Amino acid sequence: MKASRTGPAVIVLLGALYFVLPLVATFEFSLSMLRSIWSFEAYRVVFADPQFRTTFSFSVIAALATIVLGALLVVPTAYWVRLRFAKLRPLVEFITLLPLVIPPIVLVFGYIRLYNSSSWLPFTNSAGGTNLLLVFGYVVLSLPYMFRAVDTGMAAIDIRTLTEAAESLGAKRSTILFRVILPNVRAAVLSGAFLTFAIVIGEFVLASLLNRPAFGPYLALIGANRAYEPAALAMIAFAITWACMGLLQVFASGPPGRPRSGRSLFKLARRAAR
Amino acid sequence: MKISRMSTTALATVLSLSTSLAFAQSGEMSMDDLVAAAKKEGQLTTIALPHDWCNYGEMIEGFKAKYGIEINELNPNAGSGDEIEAIKANKGNTGPQAPDVIDVGLSFGPSAKAEDLLMPYKVATWDEIPDDAKDADGYWYGDYYGVLVFGINKDVIDTAPQSFEDLLKSDYANSVALAGDPRSANNAIMSLYAAGIARGGKTGIEAATAGLEFFKELNEAGNFVTVDAEAAPIAQGTTPVAMNWDYNLLSMRDNLNGNPPIEVVVPSDGVVAGVYVQAISAYAPHPNAAKLWMEYLYSDEGQLTWLKGYCHPIRFNAMSKAGKIPQDLLDKLPPAEAYEKAVFPTLDDQNAAKAEIAAKWDSVVGATVQ
Amino acid sequence: MGAAIDAGTAGAAHNDTDAAPSRRPARSFAWLGLAPFFGFAILFLIGPTLYLVAGAFQDRNGAFTFDNILGLFTPQIMAAYAISIQVSLASAALGALIGFFLAHAIVHGRLPAWIRPTVVTFSGVASNFAGIPLAFAFLATLGRLGLVTLFLKEAAGVNIYALGFNLLSFWGLTITYLYFQIPLMVLIVTPALDGLKGEWREAASVLGATRWQYWRMVALPVLAPSILGCFLLLFANSFGAIATAYALTGSSLNIVPILLYAQIRGDVLYNPNLGYALAFGMIVITGCSNLLYLWLRSRAERWQR
Repeated sequence: MKASRTGPAVIVLLGALYFVLPLVATFEFSLSMLRSIWSFEAYRVVFADPQFRTTFSFSVIAALATIVLGALLVVPTAYWVRLRFAKLRPLVEFITLLPLVIPPIVLVFGYIRLYNSSSWLPFTNSAGGTNLLLVFGYVVLSLPYMFRAVDTGMAAIDIRTLTEAAESLGAKRSTILFRVILPNVRAAVLSGAFLTFAIVIGEFVLASLLNRPAFGPYLALIGANRAYEPAALAMIAFAITWACMGLLQVFASGPPGRPRSGRSLFKLARRAAR
Repeated sequence: MKISRMSTTALATVLSLSTSLAFAQSGEMSMDDLVAAAKKEGQLTTIALPHDWCNYGEMIEGFKAKYGIEINELNPNAGSGDEIEAIKANKGNTGPQAPDVIDVGLSFGPSAKAEDLLMPYKVATWDEIPDDAKDADGYWYGDYYGVLVFGINKDVIDTAPQSFEDLLKSDYANSVALAGDPRSANNAIMSLYAAGIARGGKTGIEAATAGLEFFKELNEAGNFVTVDAEAAPIAQGTTPVAMNWDYNLLSMRDNLNGNPPIEVVVPSDGVVAGVYVQAISAYAPHPNAAKLWMEYLYSDEGQLTWLKGYCHPIRFNAMSKAGKIPQDLLDKLPPAEAYEKAVFPTLDDQNAAKAEIAAKWDSVVGATVQ
Repeated sequence: MGAAIDAGTAGAAHNDTDAAPSRRPARSFAWLGLAPFFGFAILFLIGPTLYLVAGAFQDRNGAFTFDNILGLFTPQIMAAYAISIQVSLASAALGALIGFFLAHAIVHGRLPAWIRPTVVTFSGVASNFAGIPLAFAFLATLGRLGLVTLFLKEAAGVNIYALGFNLLSFWGLTITYLYFQIPLMVLIVTPALDGLKGEWREAASVLGATRWQYWRMVALPVLAPSILGCFLLLFANSFGAIATAYALTGSSLNIVPILLYAQIRGDVLYNPNLGYALAFGMIVITGCSNLLYLWLRSRAERWQR
């Protein structure tokens, strides 16, 4: 029954080819700004642009805020639904799939109409309020991915036993959630965080119509009249996003002790249950 | 004696009242008062002004340097519809999200006026704006225009097409592209309109129908490419013959700086001009700064700044007659004779053409991808 | 859905009543746990959508009308929905298939340890590489003057365009869409594949099952809910994608999001109420597939309990 390794290796190789070649083509084009030689001129122009730095950092901060808020919203919800409200699960899932179904432009038009200066929640009256509205919009956009990732992760661990074990040891709800459940679904939350980060960095519709200085509108603007800089920008965004995700992975793996605490509690509970 | 003195006083009062009223009607406050009031407001909020479009970058810097008023720039990617939406969404909002001034396509001026979104104002040089490019009551006024031209990537194409009929030749297989979706983007629709004029269409509907027919032939000949002709596809070679406004293609030519070399050609058989209009929002948080901005735009300095961005300012004819346009600026533009044939479609023609093209594009041109 | 909302208010009432305190303190606390989610969803998801989709049933002046919905049944718009559905199905099916094999390869393929985190991280980045940069990347690779096209022409003498390939076509668009569909599938199916315990495979082989039997009777039924769910996700993801299609086949491929934009934001047509009706149609279609998935999933999970 020893599975051969050549099949998977071939698949990964073909996949790598499909994904890397377009990047290579974009990179090659971005190097062609000066005639008939390869140079980093396009990159130099991009980095010298102060707008690039402001919009990119704005988007990164927005992405981090979205991840934190999204995780805070989704993990407890997925936990409660799995634990106690199994009947509500279809409803909650339907809601989390709605952002895929609803075009973002409908969403942002709704925000502008509902939360403008003459409404009871005038988010758009100030820059700070609009930023908050933007982050909420991003959380909505990333909800399907975050929830599905966390839910799948929770399905893979036995939260019922973990909860009972922790309760029998006298843990409070919040302790259970943050110190028992969360470390065990860390991989799932991370995968949801990856998706959220990438979504927010490239997002255009919400940021542009809410008039926020994010990276997506900046990218579109540069593409209007310039040829090589957008290709350079795409490569830079790709590289920086990958680096941030790498950092996320390292940071969230945490000190070696954390995951083990969840598992040993589990073993303890099993022993106690016998 | 008493009566005559009284009547003199009365006469004097009436005269002074009527003079000040006349002042109020024509220029309102004097320029100095306007500058002072605008500086007091301290800020101007604009929207949809990319720095590369018509040299707005220099315009904005020039205004800031001259009057020391901050400019808060909203969403440079906004389309005309978005600008109108922004005014509507911010009625009563005096925060930084509410635009003071807008720069929209011609057809949006009257519709915005009808929805009571605009504030009337007539700049000092009002009379030099052609009548058919402004609202008689001063609610909106044309600011610049451009004509529909071809931009050719000379690395890929050897001989540039000179006319619409040239485009049908086999030399241009898989080369010709529009810079937008003809069902929604103004410049794509005007490209069809220009093709229709080249085919002899006179009114809006005729030009639209003839234009649709032309693009059908173009597609059947295999010359039409469905990709959006932005700078990158043009430079990369996918869309080496692009149709767009002259100011866009000319500034793209400058930005690409010979890599690849772009030749801009005004088609010999059909030239269409598109006018944009300025207006002040009725809910502008900084009305005096907005009025000062208008005065700046329509001053000689402002109009020439636009010309540097290859946009023909609306006072072009009056200014060139008065010899106010430097020769080196004129040299950078395509030859003036090409512009003389330009057709300025009326509002009705434009609306009729738009409706026709948006409705019939899919069925007539049939460029549905398989 | 209505029943659940009613249960919600019943739950709130529960909070108020002083029932046997030791019997259900957990329950009243638990409702609070779900409140943030539902509150957030109503304020920032359902509310704005309903507000705007109500516009599908109004005309310009706000009066109630069915005209916009009826206006959806014109040939142009029906064709747009048909093409949207076809492109979405094709890219979702292919994306799900290829993504599944790729995910399986990195999880169970016994490859070097660095491959999995690399592929997963890359998938996270690539799943959102869409729009104009993606369209341009493919033009630069497989366009008429693209890197791969030219390479094949010069090195191998093969002119793929002469053989009938065209990036600016239905299949070209599908291939481009796969760039963000496959990574999405990989990202979401990988945790599920983790749950496929090695013991099951050993147990199956001990009982004499072939690989195919193992897959058919053990692995696939367990994975079916996740795979179906991902397929749905991919379908909806592709249905709403506009920027890539616009850049690549903008004026020719008649898909619903492009029409939607043209009505809501375009310089020309600007009939927002028809646009909202288009959005309503999109919501109905993807909503239906949503419900279908939930039903299929509940059937598949029945034996799991």
